Amino acid sequence: MPHTKEQQKPILLLIDDSPSIHRLLAFKLKNEGLEFLAAFDSTEGVELAQSHQPSLILLDLNMPVVDGFQTMRALKECSQTISIPVIVLSGTTSPEDKVRAFELGAMDFVCKPFDIHELRARINSAIRISRLMKMLEMRAQVDGLTGLWNRAYFNERLASELAEASRNNKHLALVLCDLDHFKKLNDTFGHPAGDAVLQGFAEVLTTELRAYDIPCRYGGEEFVIILPDTDRDEARQVAERIRAALEAKGWPKFPDIHATASFGLTTAGLAGKDDPASWIQAADQMLYQAKHAGRNRVEVFSGPPSDGKAHLALAS
Amino acid sequence: MTDPKGPAGPIRSEMSSDADMLEIIQMFVDEMPERVAALEDAWRVHDTEALTRVAHQLKGASPGYGYSSVGDAAAILERSLKSADQDLSSVQAQFDHLIDLCSRVVV
Ligand SMILES: [Mg+2]
Repeated sequence: MPHTKEQQKPILLLIDDSPSIHRLLAFKLKNEGLEFLAAFDSTEGVELAQSHQPSLILLDLNMPVVDGFQTMRALKECSQTISIPVIVLSGTTSPEDKVRAFELGAMDFVCKPFDIHELRARINSAIRISRLMKMLEMRAQVDGLTGLWNRAYFNERLASELAEASRNNKHLALVLCDLDHFKKLNDTFGHPAGDAVLQGFAEVLTTELRAYDIPCRYGGEEFVIILPDTDRDEARQVAERIRAALEAKGWPKFPDIHATASFGLTTAGLAGKDDPASWIQAADQMLYQAKHAGRNRVEVFSGPPSDGKAHLALAS
Repeated sequence: MTDPKGPAGPIRSEMSSDADMLEIIQMFVDEMPERVAALEDAWRVHDTEALTRVAHQLKGASPGYGYSSVGDAAAILERSLKSADQDLSSVQAQFDHLIDLCSRVVV
């Protein structure tokens, strides 16, 4: 769910072959509110970066076997570590090395021996900048009114979840939802009421869904949920739970509102196709049926058998 | 500052007044014989690469522990090694000086 993680101690990963440097930095930075991770060679460093997602990496250039430049390349080639800021810490002071480090994606360069005050300032600055970058990235993916993921994020995520499901032969479900009679609701109670219902529905989604589900605002009064690793029956239960929770929800500021939504569910793409567009079409068709069958209900695409995997073609 | 040509007295850390830091300074000092041995071994077998590596590390770390004269001497040796090719005799003085300083380091 696109909620900002609670503030936790930033993790600082130091990759340096020299134990003296590790001890010195751990001592000098012990009051900075950082959590320290230590790697003494490149391989260990890249592994720790992937598994612990540090806020910042301090990287020594001069290391035996695999040097800092190669380490940098490995970090920037891996999607899990590409956006972690790196400060290169090196006894090499040649301008060529500095330029090369920046070209490979370093955020900053500090020469050894370092002045600890300067290093401290640069560490804090790098952490601040990377937080801002993350925030911007997050903002671009989150819907302002509801706090759910936005459509741009959904498009990207559906494609990657489809690929993931088919690669690992796992289930996947997609639910398209649309608030019933939303225009009428807006006209009758006003736009603030409409916004309240959109936000209220987002709350219902957040409450009823599991941590790994991906609720998105698709646009207007339409929402879409990606349910990874979920088969048709489970997905139907989840959608039904959401439907019931919205129907039962009270609206303290607008006591006369009775909001419901219709749901189109699929665990396959239309015509057995496996691209995002076909999946959305299948869900949309079911949503259309739900609307026509009287609204406030869940319709399920009967494409593949209920134990069918995400990539299975439409059953006859 | 220690005069390299002066009497071979102990070289104290410029940071020894920081009581909290004494523990890690002590560790740094305790490891000095190892580093001296590594330098001497590398010298004996003309291993320029190993010499450069130890000198480089000393350059980077020593000033942080309050031994800037060691850091300076290590930097000079590292730089001299770059232009020394295989002929280590041209850096004998720089090598001896670094060994001398390292041997005199105390907390
Ligand atoms: Mg190093």
